[in-house]
Amino acid sequence: MLGRGLKRKLSDYEENMAGLSSAFDSSRSLPYPLKRQLVLNMCLTKLQTYKMLVEPNLHRSVLIANTVRQIQEEMRQESSQQPVNICPGIAAASHGYAGMESPGIALQLPSGVGQQESHCCDLRSVEDPIENSLLIVSDDDMSSAISSILKDLDFVEDISPPTCLVPTGDDQPKFPENTGLKLEDDRQDLKGAECVFGSFEISNSTSYLKDLAIDDIFEDIDTSMYDSDFCCPPLMPPRSPSLATEEPLKTFPSCNSSSANNIQICRTDLSELDHIMEILVGS
Amino acid sequence: ADIISTVEFNYTGDLLATGDKGGRVVIFQREQETKSRPLSRGEYNVYSTFQSHEPEFDYLKSLEIEEKINKIRWLPQQNAAHFLLSTNDKTIKLWKISERDKRAEGYNLKDEDGRLREPFRVTELRVPTLKPMDLMVEASPRRTFANAHTYHINSISVNSDYATYLSADDLRINLWHLEVTNRSFKHTTVLKKRLFLRSVLTATFFKKKLVTDLQFSNTESIGSCKSWQWFHVELCVLSAVFEEPEDPSSRSFFSEIISSISDVKFSHNGRYMMTRDYLSVKVWDLNMENRPVETYQVHEYLRSKLCSLYENDCIFDKFECCWNGSDSTIMTGSYNNFFRTFERETHRDITLEASRESSKPRAILKPRKVCTTGKRKKDEITVDSLDFNKKILHTAWHPTENIIAVAATNNLYLFQEKVN
Repeated sequence: MLGRGLKRKLSDYEENMAGLSSAFDSSRSLPYPLKRQLVLNMCLTKLQTYKMLVEPNLHRSVLIANTVRQIQEEMRQESSQQPVNICPGIAAASHGYAGMESPGIALQLPSGVGQQESHCCDLRSVEDPIENSLLIVSDDDMSSAISSILKDLDFVEDISPPTCLVPTGDDQPKFPENTGLKLEDDRQDLKGAECVFGSFEISNSTSYLKDLAIDDIFEDIDTSMYDSDFCCPPLMPPRSPSLATEEPLKTFPSCNSSSANNIQICRTDLSELDHIMEILVGS
Repeated sequence: ADIISTVEFNYTGDLLATGDKGGRVVIFQREQETKSRPLSRGEYNVYSTFQSHEPEFDYLKSLEIEEKINKIRWLPQQNAAHFLLSTNDKTIKLWKISERDKRAEGYNLKDEDGRLREPFRVTELRVPTLKPMDLMVEASPRRTFANAHTYHINSISVNSDYATYLSADDLRINLWHLEVTNRSFKHTTVLKKRLFLRSVLTATFFKKKLVTDLQFSNTESIGSCKSWQWFHVELCVLSAVFEEPEDPSSRSFFSEIISSISDVKFSHNGRYMMTRDYLSVKVWDLNMENRPVETYQVHEYLRSKLCSLYENDCIFDKFECCWNGSDSTIMTGSYNNFFRTFERETHRDITLEASRESSKPRAILKPRKVCTTGKRKKDEITVDSLDFNKKILHTAWHPTENIIAVAATNNLYLFQEKVN
């Protein structure tokens, strides 16, 4: 009569997660940030896995993305109340995450790097942005990584570079739109530094239908973001690099040409893609 | 036998259709009580089996389209034949199931075995006569409604005008006319584009008895259920939003996921509506939108296991629920092949198991219990020893009698109230 109990997956990473998730369930003493980080890691793993699936289940993707947003919003609010500091526990986890191969993360690093450059110019060199970014363990990176994954899922109108974590209180865009966003021209909304996880969404989520005007209801949704074109998303569309190159150059004349970085990162993306394809095909 | 993916009684309850993961539809028919076999009342035997959907390949997206049957809906019977709609992720088909018990014999131009007769042998004209033959049940596809959904179809519902029906996927609702297959009549996107994609439609169907009412639920953060009213085919106005305020003390990372509604069913009398989310079933009075009138916890002991269930994806399981004919009892499934029924008036509930080991034909089912405290009594099962691979997602209740159909993975169980 005894059942097999909960399923266990085979990979090491997932075995660790399984152990952690039972720890989450059973122990009350796990600190809240660690629990939150655990859930976030699981969400991001799932989103990555779903992206690689032939036809991701939209329902699940949306639910997981919403959970990620919720966590991200919490973290954002917390960090806006305290100075951003590096918590060792979280750092370890996010480093572990950042180490995962993922074109999305690699792609996001340029703007993440841009972030770092703008705010911590003195801390790291520009020549080796990727390596430095992988070593950086801060909320900025987590947010960038999350943004990259979610933007692949989302048909986001409000674009934002992850400036939201640094509480400048300033809504003017310091940076242009993120590279790599596939938005249609007529819907690009350069409101700027509004965070991807705009607070208006989260707080009013329950009553959005009540507030709708009737006409708005009938507009068509563009769901191209949610379609699993997993061969395409990591590659930047042609127009964005020009934006990305111009603005940073204007704002940071001291930086080396970002376009060179972009190309470098493109190549890295491609080789990472190749690697992933090898794994998929090989398995 | 393949994993059963949907179960549906027809309007009289004489026929029970099941769809499975391999695209097959199996229809069971209730045996008529006869003098020679008085005990056979209530037995369902296979009436017809046919392959409804085949796996397809979408060349444009390089995607395989699963042949799994997501939903079956019967059409009300209007003549001797039966009609049902069956759908997989992308295509809906209208099937006609008809009986044939007579055969024409005595053709002029061909022999009994079908070969053409020699012309010089035809010496006289005769009229073919109908002779009885063994009952043959034929299923033939009558219409195919395709290419209207980008995402996976999760609901179909026949309108009470019996001429139109709707199909819904995660984002869109299409309204079809049963006679027209090359386009859907009007489709309406019910989710506003400006929103980040936060909600998908989870269950959509026409409200009974009113041509203009449409109901759907989505994955709103509190698990609300929205009702639309169509005054005119082109106009769609939000008429009521059913939403329960969230209890802040029970908020967790998984609150949104577990409050996502997996099934919505109207009561037979049209006054109530029942919604199933991951842990509970809620009964709503259609006149009261701000909170449900009844809430039943299906497997509250899982609340402390949500992280593990999220990790193994069980938290996304979509359980269905159903009313009995008199709306006095509701039923839904759980894990370990358990299913639960709740009597609304008496507040009694019972947990039963659908498995070969625990039920022999005609034996009375023994109630089961899950042990939630530390001390396990005899015959109880602890939460950790539940088998989460044995889930009962699909259940159906006969429209008038107390006969229930329970799909446990690839087995169909039929239970009946004991009649003395």
